[in-house]
Amino acid sequence: MAGKGGATPATYSPSPTTNRKKKPPIFKEDWVRPDGRGFHQCRPAFFRTGAVNAASGSAYAEFGNTKVIVSVFGPRESKKAMMYSDIGRLNCNVSFTTFATPIRGQGSDHKEYCAMLHKALEGAIILETFPKTTVDVFALVLESSGSDLPVVISCASLALADAGIMMYDIVASVSVSCFNKNLVIDPILEEEIGQDGSLMITCMPSRYEITQLTVTGEWSTTKINEGMQLCLDACAKLAKIMRSCLKEVASDSQE
Amino acid sequence: MVGLSLGETHFIQGGIAQDLRCDGRKRLTYRPISVETGVIPQTNGSARVRMGATDVIASVKAELGKPSLLQPDKGKVSIYVDCSSTAEPAFEGRGGDELAAELSNALQRCLLGGKSGAGAGIDLSSLIVVEGKICWDLYIDGLVVSSDGNLLDALGAAIKAALSNTGIPRVQVAAGTSNDEHPEVDVSDEEFLQFDTSRVPVIVTLTKVGRHYIVDATSEEESQMSSAVSISVNRQGHICGITKRGGVGLDPSIILDMISVAKHVSEQLINKLDSEIASAEAEEES
Repeated sequence: MAGKGGATPATYSPSPTTNRKKKPPIFKEDWVRPDGRGFHQCRPAFFRTGAVNAASGSAYAEFGNTKVIVSVFGPRESKKAMMYSDIGRLNCNVSFTTFATPIRGQGSDHKEYCAMLHKALEGAIILETFPKTTVDVFALVLESSGSDLPVVISCASLALADAGIMMYDIVASVSVSCFNKNLVIDPILEEEIGQDGSLMITCMPSRYEITQLTVTGEWSTTKINEGMQLCLDACAKLAKIMRSCLKEVASDSQE
Repeated sequence: MVGLSLGETHFIQGGIAQDLRCDGRKRLTYRPISVETGVIPQTNGSARVRMGATDVIASVKAELGKPSLLQPDKGKVSIYVDCSSTAEPAFEGRGGDELAAELSNALQRCLLGGKSGAGAGIDLSSLIVVEGKICWDLYIDGLVVSSDGNLLDALGAAIKAALSNTGIPRVQVAAGTSNDEHPEVDVSDEEFLQFDTSRVPVIVTLTKVGRHYIVDATSEEESQMSSAVSISVNRQGHICGITKRGGVGLDPSIILDMISVAKHVSEQLINKLDSEIASAEAEEES
């Protein structure tokens, strides 16, 4: 609610004076984040598998106010138009509900998310285990409140695990925003709008491998180093949460 | 592209391991680059870049529009890429859409900087005519005419050259207009403003084949890659964007090593490109 309250005046009074006042507080040394977190502190993460009955695997994830649901179908027969393939195919789709963003229908132009989700996951899935077939991953962002894509990727890897697809490791993803010289991890929507640069890392923590890396804006090499280390540490912690979620489901079913 | 046989595969990989590629290059050497500017007179700026057999055209069109609500003091820039089926039969119909979207997103990430506008290759504030009301919208279109690998580097170079070639008409705002009315503007036919492109970065793509990485991969070499990292570096040596392609994971230390190699390679590429652009502009004026 505090976030939305802050966003509304900017939308309804676009005078230059108001917009200029918004920016200076970000660069102050004693600046506190809008939701009270420290610079290197992530939002609370909540995961749940088995959210969709009809799917082979599914997962629901919340990072603060960002809410995502992912379904996995397959492996199933590929369409005949597709050529023969010795390894399996991965098909990804990411969409936003019309009510996901503060302004209705605004989140529908994230077409690049599908390709990025695909590239993040294909390095982790053992595609050779299901030749000639296709696995579909459908992600729906119920509420968009910053760092949407990392949440989608983490949730999708949990859904794939729930579906029993063989993977090298679980995939965790975290992003960092850069403000002048400060690094802020897991940014919310307010922070994302005014960021100078962003860095997103998707990795397999146990293998210590990066499957997706995206950098935007101007960074020095030392800053990239710092940002990468920050993200990798956060991914390791996130992976623990994801694993405990899977174990929880396994122990429940045994009972 | 026809698939490669197992023997060809081993030959390419073995050659890269020996630092001798099929066309005789070393791992970190580019193919010959040639630049032409002003190839499309109807546009505000245009350029054509050839990198070996890869051929791309970039054009810039400027139109007057309205600034976005979030940044009323900055102009807008959009980047689109079209993969023509003349380049490859696989691009027929909607076949090239996925690659085109991937390329345009990577270019936007590398050239347009963060959401606050900091780090962009162009000073977006220079595109403002009337704050909050009128600004220049730049539409940058990339066209792939021939495809033989390393499209992203070629497109990045072409866009840099096209921006160097771009002239934007000077705009006079009619005086005496009250604040709440839409201002009247007079677009000059003779006076043009040019961009300072010294901060536009170049893109270097390092493709990992086996245990080595190469620069400026051809189509055949790209078919053997496990992954590729495209790093955008500007003249000051800052990283302006990174995009990773290919599904296989990379160790973080390898990525950091790739970044330092890319910075080293980009120095030569920037100098080569700047001299090519300067000679192309001089040739166009004569």
